[in-house]
Amino acid sequence: MYRLLMAVYIWLGFFQPIYAQDSCNITVDCRVVETHNGQPLYPVSVYIDEMKREFETDEDGRFQISNACAGKYHIHFHAAGYEHLVKELNITANASLKFSLSHIDNELDEVIVADDHTKTIIQSKSNMNRMDIVANSGKTLGDMLQRVNGVSVLSNGATIAKPVIHGLYGNRIIILNNGIRQEDQQWGSEHAPNIDPFLANNITVLKGASGVRYGTDAIGGVVLVEPSVVRTMQGWGGEVNFAGFSNNRMGVASATVEHGFKYIKGLGIRLQGTLKQGGNYRIPGHWAANTGTMESNYSATLAYKRAHFGAEVFYSHFNTQLGVYRGAHTGNEKDLLFAINSDTPTIYTGFTYNLARPMQHISHDLWKLKLNADNRAGAFSLVYAYQHNYRQEYDVIRGNTDKAQLNLTLNTQTLNLNFNHKAIGGITGQIGIDGTYQENYMQDGDRLFIPNYRSPAAAAYIIERYRLRKLTLEAGLRYDYKHYEVYNPEGNNQAVVRYDFDYSNASGTIGLKYKVKPNWEWTATLANAWRTPQANELFSAGLHHSAARIELGDKNLLPEKAYSLNVETIYNLPDKWHAEVSLYSQYINDFIYLSPGADILTIRGYFKTFSYRQTDAWLNGADVSVRYQIMKPLEAHLKTSFLFARDIQQRDWLILMPADRVSAGLKHRFNISKTVQDVFVGIDARYVFRQWRIPANFDAIDNPRPPMDYTVLDAEAGASIMLNGHPVYCSITVMNMLNKAYRDYMDAFRYFINQQGTNAVLRLRIPFNFYENKSKI
Amino acid sequence: MKSNIIKFSFAAALATVSFTACKKDEVKTPEPVEQELITTVKLKVTRLDDMSVKTFMYKVENGFGSTTQGAVTIDSVILAANKEYNVEVELLNEKENPAEDVTKEVKEESNEHLFIYQSNPATGNGSIGFGMGNKDGNGNPLNQTIKFITASAGKGGLTVTLKHEPTNKAATTPDAAGGETDVEATFPVRLQ
Repeated sequence: MYRLLMAVYIWLGFFQPIYAQDSCNITVDCRVVETHNGQPLYPVSVYIDEMKREFETDEDGRFQISNACAGKYHIHFHAAGYEHLVKELNITANASLKFSLSHIDNELDEVIVADDHTKTIIQSKSNMNRMDIVANSGKTLGDMLQRVNGVSVLSNGATIAKPVIHGLYGNRIIILNNGIRQEDQQWGSEHAPNIDPFLANNITVLKGASGVRYGTDAIGGVVLVEPSVVRTMQGWGGEVNFAGFSNNRMGVASATVEHGFKYIKGLGIRLQGTLKQGGNYRIPGHWAANTGTMESNYSATLAYKRAHFGAEVFYSHFNTQLGVYRGAHTGNEKDLLFAINSDTPTIYTGFTYNLARPMQHISHDLWKLKLNADNRAGAFSLVYAYQHNYRQEYDVIRGNTDKAQLNLTLNTQTLNLNFNHKAIGGITGQIGIDGTYQENYMQDGDRLFIPNYRSPAAAAYIIERYRLRKLTLEAGLRYDYKHYEVYNPEGNNQAVVRYDFDYSNASGTIGLKYKVKPNWEWTATLANAWRTPQANELFSAGLHHSAARIELGDKNLLPEKAYSLNVETIYNLPDKWHAEVSLYSQYINDFIYLSPGADILTIRGYFKTFSYRQTDAWLNGADVSVRYQIMKPLEAHLKTSFLFARDIQQRDWLILMPADRVSAGLKHRFNISKTVQDVFVGIDARYVFRQWRIPANFDAIDNPRPPMDYTVLDAEAGASIMLNGHPVYCSITVMNMLNKAYRDYMDAFRYFINQQGTNAVLRLRIPFNFYENKSKI
Repeated sequence: MKSNIIKFSFAAALATVSFTACKKDEVKTPEPVEQELITTVKLKVTRLDDMSVKTFMYKVENGFGSTTQGAVTIDSVILAANKEYNVEVELLNEKENPAEDVTKEVKEESNEHLFIYQSNPATGNGSIGFGMGNKDGNGNPLNQTIKFITASAGKGGLTVTLKHEPTNKAATTPDAAGGETDVEATFPVRLQ
């Protein structure tokens, strides 16, 4: 280890002096204005072909291209109601540039957001851009999101991960996949979101209640997974990605091809596909039995874009097969205790790609149709989506059968109609309606997990924004209605009883943004959100096989209501400091949680029972992130997040909340030659505290106590290599460099096995781009 | 421009109508089945000197799958002191009518199952000693049939455990066997 550190040190020292003007440290400040009146334009989406990077202008029409290499670039500007502008740019040194866009009708109109109502809202948010996503490619979405400050994961070993935002997870978080609310089966910690992260060009995490924009359930926050704009410019483009993971011998390949049609102006198509296969993963000293993973995903997008009209059809298919660690499947409380008390895995195994029971097989299909049009009154959009989620779970059983013991189908249709009106007396905003129809059903012969139900829902919302010089004020209102029709088998003869539930609620939000200086801003948001109890919280009545416990639902549960306050400040001193401090406080009325009850003796021995109860919860916390450039090529960063989660009624801590954490790292960027550019070497250390904020009755509920604190070291290095004028990006990342044996409180396998050991990842990315008619640009 | 809006509104209205129209009339009634439910453990005990037969039952009305387990009835195992018995264990699912014999399945997959017997106290008055049991397909213990050797008169307990996919087939305690517990039934014992 020391030798490795030494080598890195020497390498760093060796390259230190090389950072000349032709390096990739050029910063270009850009401003986009209206041609006629010189007013700043926002939001304008900007795209640079060669970098594959997307930007968006701020309220002052500004955006910044940082870490750019010298060279020629094609830069695109898109704004609703404005001409599509393509400029060729020759970047040689730091510069400040101005671009102007003309309105199509030559009208001096206010800019209208024709796209989703997600981008300009005032809310505490963090972003993973294209480069961050690429640097983590091959990981699951949940795992990837851990890079975002304030986000942690709830996991089942190394292959199943759910994002946790400010301590909240599962159905308290909404994931928007390409603008569509992802409806997969988030009933338990072992159900990860069914999304292929290779689809994403940009991932945004909104932290805190966001009920007004996203409707029910957005209590903890929202994850926006957004693909890039489909190429409608003539020619071909795309990229190929490869990643190899040493730990579980996992290989990932993904490819994207885009084409802009020559004869139909504005028509473009994109095809994308991903393949992934990994075997058992390795924890320090042992293999984890039956933890392989397999994924095959594909998607297609057809987009048609004109000045005042656009249409898009999107289809994606996600398909995964996941092994669940065999040792986590226990028969009764005694088995569970034995597995917990064993220091080594209770199942010994070698490496294999084969999957055995227990196992999950999930497929998710998404169809989306989007139409948008704009005129002088504003911009309309209509989005219809159909999602089909099919989850099969294969239990460890006696007898010979290939059948799954659980076959759950969840079908969801959603419709959104949105209108962004033009400025009326300086106020811009949007109104819209949402409709949802969902049905969930199991197959005959399944073990009872959640009852069949169908649920129609409808909502209407309005969000208005007013800008007064440095201050932007935003306010929104929403009204939701949701109906549940549940068919629950009950009693000894399992007769089906129908239940009807009606829920409705109003949500509101007020946001303030104050720009002290162009590089320093404050935002404050006061918002609320609500969540109806889910079918499993209402009706769960049975054994959780892997957890060896019995969970009992409660039909009388009330909806959860959350009120959150976020205050955030962002300060940016180019080439020196970047600091973000975010404080939050969230009060959740009727917070639904599992409370332990009596033991039940069955023919299998003893089981613990848990019942769904409600209390009032109060979550307070802070996320701080600071980047500092020590010298021009060397950057240090420090991130930390803290959370205090209280049960107000019991005057106690809430169970299963992420522990406080700190991470720090160094990154060194430099160029070696014209052919080897954008070289980076980085090291990262993550320290996670032992969670000591646990309920007083913890030992009775959850044995053993939360695992000890731990530090994990990661290292990375990469470069862009020019081959015949085409850049090829490659990088190597080593996670858990010291093969540290540790467990994490938020991992459901912490009772049984350690976290994954050292994992080296080799990544390769090859973008390609052809223009059919160069003279046009 | 106006025509655009009209077209658009029309499309929106159409979509809304079709959206609400595709409601299905009936939600299929689920028929959940608890996989491999076991409700009853039956000990068939044959006294070797006079070949008299007794049976003892441990019954949980709804088995382990459901939270409402129903009535639990446990027979006391009353045997003569200082005798030898041949014992056969039967597992039933009495939720089915007629009752399903789960023992058959277990025997078919004998390589993946192991019965374990424990006496409390392990020795002395009221205890039971265990002889050799039957074997699985690989010649390893299955112990679905076994010999009991009763000690002197007294009171105690007998636990019968069925392990699924044990990691150690030679084990004499459930913990050492590994795997999953399918059945763990403790009978009160009286030797007289």
